[in-house]
Amino acid sequence: MGSLVSVLNKRKHGSWVLFTGLLIGQSSAQRDYIVMASRTPPKEETHGNTFDKDWITEHARQVSRMLPGGLSVLGVFLITEADAKDTQTTLRQLVFSVENLICSERLWNPEDDDVTDCVTLHINSKTRKTVCRTFDVKDPKSMAKPADWKYQSGLCSSWVSVSCCSNVNIYFPLPTGQNTPEKMENCIKEELQIWAKQIETGVTLIDGKMFSDDAELTTGQKRNAKQAYTVQLLISPSEHRVNDVVQKCGGSVSIRGAIHSRAYVHSNKPKAKLAEKLLKRDIISTLATRVHMVLEEFVTAGGQNINVGGDLLVPRRIFCPVKGRSPVCVCDYQFSDEGPSEAAVRLKEMLDLDAAEEDIDTSQENVTITTSDIKAEPQPEQIEEASPQRNNYIGVVMASAVALLATAASLLYLNDV
Amino acid sequence: MVVDTHSSDSSIILRVKGPLEFKCLFDKPDALNIQKVISKTFDALCSDIKSDSCAFTLCDGPVVIWPNKDVTISQEGITPNTLCEVLSQWTQTSEQDSASKRLAKKKSKKGPSSTVVNLQLMMEVTRSGAPHPHVPVFERTVQTAHFISTTLPMDCAVFLSQDETIQDACLRLVEELWNQLNEMKRVTIQHLKGASVLIPEPLHFLLPPPHGLVTVVYPSGVPDSQLQTVRQTLHKKYDLPEDTPYFRRANAYHFANEPYRDGYLRNPHLSLNLPALDNGKVYLVQGLYSYHHYMQDRIDDNGWGCAYRSLQTICSWFQQQGYEERSVPTHKEIQQALVDVGDKPAAFVGSRQWIGSIEVQVVLSQLLGVTSKIMFVSQGSELASKGRELANHFTTEGTPVMIGGGVLAHTILGVAWSETTGEIRYLILDPHYTGAEDLQLITEKGWCGWKGPEFWDQTAYYNLCLPQRPRVI
Repeated sequence: MGSLVSVLNKRKHGSWVLFTGLLIGQSSAQRDYIVMASRTPPKEETHGNTFDKDWITEHARQVSRMLPGGLSVLGVFLITEADAKDTQTTLRQLVFSVENLICSERLWNPEDDDVTDCVTLHINSKTRKTVCRTFDVKDPKSMAKPADWKYQSGLCSSWVSVSCCSNVNIYFPLPTGQNTPEKMENCIKEELQIWAKQIETGVTLIDGKMFSDDAELTTGQKRNAKQAYTVQLLISPSEHRVNDVVQKCGGSVSIRGAIHSRAYVHSNKPKAKLAEKLLKRDIISTLATRVHMVLEEFVTAGGQNINVGGDLLVPRRIFCPVKGRSPVCVCDYQFSDEGPSEAAVRLKEMLDLDAAEEDIDTSQENVTITTSDIKAEPQPEQIEEASPQRNNYIGVVMASAVALLATAASLLYLNDV
Repeated sequence: MVVDTHSSDSSIILRVKGPLEFKCLFDKPDALNIQKVISKTFDALCSDIKSDSCAFTLCDGPVVIWPNKDVTISQEGITPNTLCEVLSQWTQTSEQDSASKRLAKKKSKKGPSSTVVNLQLMMEVTRSGAPHPHVPVFERTVQTAHFISTTLPMDCAVFLSQDETIQDACLRLVEELWNQLNEMKRVTIQHLKGASVLIPEPLHFLLPPPHGLVTVVYPSGVPDSQLQTVRQTLHKKYDLPEDTPYFRRANAYHFANEPYRDGYLRNPHLSLNLPALDNGKVYLVQGLYSYHHYMQDRIDDNGWGCAYRSLQTICSWFQQQGYEERSVPTHKEIQQALVDVGDKPAAFVGSRQWIGSIEVQVVLSQLLGVTSKIMFVSQGSELASKGRELANHFTTEGTPVMIGGGVLAHTILGVAWSETTGEIRYLILDPHYTGAEDLQLITEKGWCGWKGPEFWDQTAYYNLCLPQRPRVI
């Protein structure tokens, strides 16, 4: 982990040094816990004077797909020579735009008790002065509220994780007629929303028990006694009463297999209901992200082939600790022809995370299909696992680790040691 | 074909309900192919029901039971060998509304007021243990075809035997669910018409001993009138009389915890103590009726509508016993019926004119096709001697009786009569009540109550309308 000092020392004399990035962590009613600060990779032709709001927002979108349940993009930071008051409007716009984009992709419904404050952090690179503010993103007119920063070490190490492996079995018809990629995407989105509703209203058990509404997850335990919990989820479809049980269709889509889900909860008396909610959201998000990636594959691999059948394994989910042996991990998705080295590169680019290949956990999900899984009838057109065409985002890998927030000044940066 | 459960000493019913997704695709719309696809889909659901993922969650408590996983139970302190009655602890605490608590002692243990323990049928989507199955395969087919997408309304209920354990009861329920799926498969395939599919619906019927609760799967959308032969077969199977409906949809058993959506009270007389006469016997209306009285349905008929209300009570009886599908007629509909047969001038509709027993008889005939006998007494004191006739009526017909005379109309729901002493009491449902549907108030103040012969105006003449039960199934 580098330091702000080393970065500042590298800058060319007289030029503006401008760093922007995302603050990642978990919020609760009273505090925000920031686990990582990930610098937005610079666009190739920028000279550091301006920043591109759309670029940063897109970075946020990509990053939020790499965060398991409980972790989210909480805000943005900016390191600049300008004064805090000059950048307040920009930061505010940025925070709202990030939040709006991320919200628009969500399939799960926000709840009343969700915390909706986002954080902006401004660091003046000359004076090292930091100004931290929060905005309520539910209210477009909200004013900046000042916030305090505190540096704490090792807090993440006691966070609790809940996880499960869930079977997915989604089956639905495609509309008749020409199916454009947009039409298919809308159709799939609607079906995923129905499935997401089932997940949200499902009954959960943690380590085999049902918890009442206000119960804490970790009552009666010594600190650090138990950190990993397994969740069971039971669902029931909603009663479906239509007059036309049979409908004409232009084909079908089925999504069948198992996914691994995980959520982290801060260790300050976490409620069981919170853990359940975060895990359910992760189940929904991880499938939605992967379906989105598969659809992108279909489009890039052969746009005109959208009207042809075929199957594709959705990408596998891999995990990597945010630091050393921290229990808190970020994740990424790989199509089966990619290995841990590609994951390491992407983690570095997107999250500014130095990961050794052996830290990357690829064991949670299984991409090998045994012959008994393969259907007997041959498909007319087989789309094999195509090489991924994503990464249309990335710029250059940063040479230096720019962990900017470890300064002597008081900052809220929960770091795992 | 139909599943039955023998009733027993216990009055606890264990019921599991829940929708199961039914989805399949058929590319060739010929009957054989459709049947094959539907059959396969049902078979897959059958194996789901018997799999480890099948679970029952208690509706009113934090208990989850996996009946196929060696009956694993989520709640500490409850094992597969725990008595099923323990589960009903949770349902007792949810029935705490004051009226039902106070009247609980008076209610009979069996029949409409049995305790019901409700379970929800759910599927576990999570799995434990290695090896993990593969990540999801996203598979797309492109073809012109037909897709069936619906949910099956699974609903199984069993009367618990004395000392039955959770394990035994739940395994019984799994068998019932499995049988119900197969029955649904049979009914669905039987009623396939081209590419149109009807959703099979299970209904429960409470038969006289020794049969108890019986479940029948009917195809939704097919009216009772077209299911005559199905009912005939059932009547033969259960040795039931050929002139009383038991298996019309309206006859379906009403579970204690399900409120009636229309808001009317049902059978308020059941909360009353029976009169005790020397060598007396009680003869009551058979089956269900709703209490109709002044001021209901936002109609102010205070002072003129009593006979109309009594007629509505009688119509509700025919509807709820399954003889009549249309809903209880309004005042205007009753008046219109009288105009239609020529009994009243057109101006009668919308007026506040009284009607009597003869008009009640006419309307029952016109709207419901029901015939009625008229009994006449020249003075109220004579009613005391009509014990035998009323007793016979309730025994053979079992319908509510409308009585009009003096300036009042009432409904007679039963009679307590001693053949030796001649003592008589009448169970009266009074349509002049103007308050809310408060069972306790209605029974305490006698709006539904047992009256002696002095209740009648001793010098006025009375007409009674005794509706005759149609002899159909």
